[in-house]
Amino acid sequence: MSNEVKSKEKVQMDPQYIIKLTVTLLITCVVVAAALGGVNAITAEKIAAINWENTVTAMKAVVADPDGTTFSDALELTDTMTAAASSAGGTLDSVYEAQANGQSAGYAIKVVTSGSQGKIEMMVGVDAEGTVTGVSIVKNSETSGIGSKVMTNLPTANGVGVLSQFEGKSAADGTLIVGSNVDAISGATVSTRGVTNGVNAALAVFDVMG
Amino acid sequence: MNFGKQLKEGLLTQNPVLVQVLGMCSTMAITTSMANGIGMGISVLIILTASNVVISAIRKVVPDKIRIAMFIVVIAGFVTCVDLLLQAFVPAIAASLGVFIPLIVVNCIILGRAESFSYKNGVVASFVDGICQGLGYTVVLLVMCFIRELLGAGTLAGFRIIPEQFPIGVLTLPVGGFLVLGFLIAAMQWALSKSKEGK
Repeated sequence: MSNEVKSKEKVQMDPQYIIKLTVTLLITCVVVAAALGGVNAITAEKIAAINWENTVTAMKAVVADPDGTTFSDALELTDTMTAAASSAGGTLDSVYEAQANGQSAGYAIKVVTSGSQGKIEMMVGVDAEGTVTGVSIVKNSETSGIGSKVMTNLPTANGVGVLSQFEGKSAADGTLIVGSNVDAISGATVSTRGVTNGVNAALAVFDVMG
Repeated sequence: MNFGKQLKEGLLTQNPVLVQVLGMCSTMAITTSMANGIGMGISVLIILTASNVVISAIRKVVPDKIRIAMFIVVIAGFVTCVDLLLQAFVPAIAASLGVFIPLIVVNCIILGRAESFSYKNGVVASFVDGICQGLGYTVVLLVMCFIRELLGAGTLAGFRIIPEQFPIGVLTLPVGGFLVLGFLIAAMQWALSKSKEGK
């Protein structure tokens, strides 16, 4: 049916008409692009500032001494760092160096892992000795009421917050595995496993950074 | 031009969500809290009105064959502006609406009004149409947000109304969105057919 309609319609191949179409579209696109450039010029700085503020808030949540710590700009990522993160089951997003009293106090490492409903973006704090100082969730889409229990750090069966249990863990504990050295929230094992992979990835990244 | 008639069409007889059943994706996804509903409703209202006016203004110079492409360019331009402005000035709303702001580009309500109304009518009528259809969309969003936030999460605009153990959690999930929307469409159709019988 649709083919029939098409063949009846006369296709206009007049070069002038085609040029007119092209020029009209081109002009519209140029005008719209110029307007967007203007809006971007006004908002870009503000958006960057807001994003940085959010990142700092997330980083402060995972270091031992939030008030006395400042953070460097994002460090340059090397191939070995990204490879270490992916072999531990996460994707490395960015690394920031934490400084307290002018000395390096470890790193805030942002990694992305898979949860049960989508990606979990999380910040992991690691001190200079390679011990986890805190874990916080930046962004997630876990099921409300189930996986979200992990995201909001509710206690596991033994009473410790599911995210807080990572504090104090280090490479010396070996690979963290749900069920052996990590407790899951019942019903939210997949979400817990995702977070655990993220911590493993962050520790792996710290390891190759030396 | 008749403002009262256009308003009635936007809110009731030609309501974009409940009668034309357009813009389902955003309606379903973001109506879990009143703040989301207000943010999304106003964004769509502004983008719809602005693109209606522009499309109506340029309708005589737009060649028929590439009109859809032109509509999309104009709409995408406005959506990106609103997206950037939201991120810069109301980051909380931008964060909770997430990807659904950029997705307004392909919201059928806006393209639908461009094709069926502003491409055929004058600037003033298109402006009014944008406001009325946008209001129709916003009102339905707010009703859905009200029901889903109150019964699903037990809060209204963030304040707890129903104690934490009682709300029907499923209403905040996508399933709940479909259910609430289904009931609203049924109620709307019933009311419309009633009022037709009355005449």
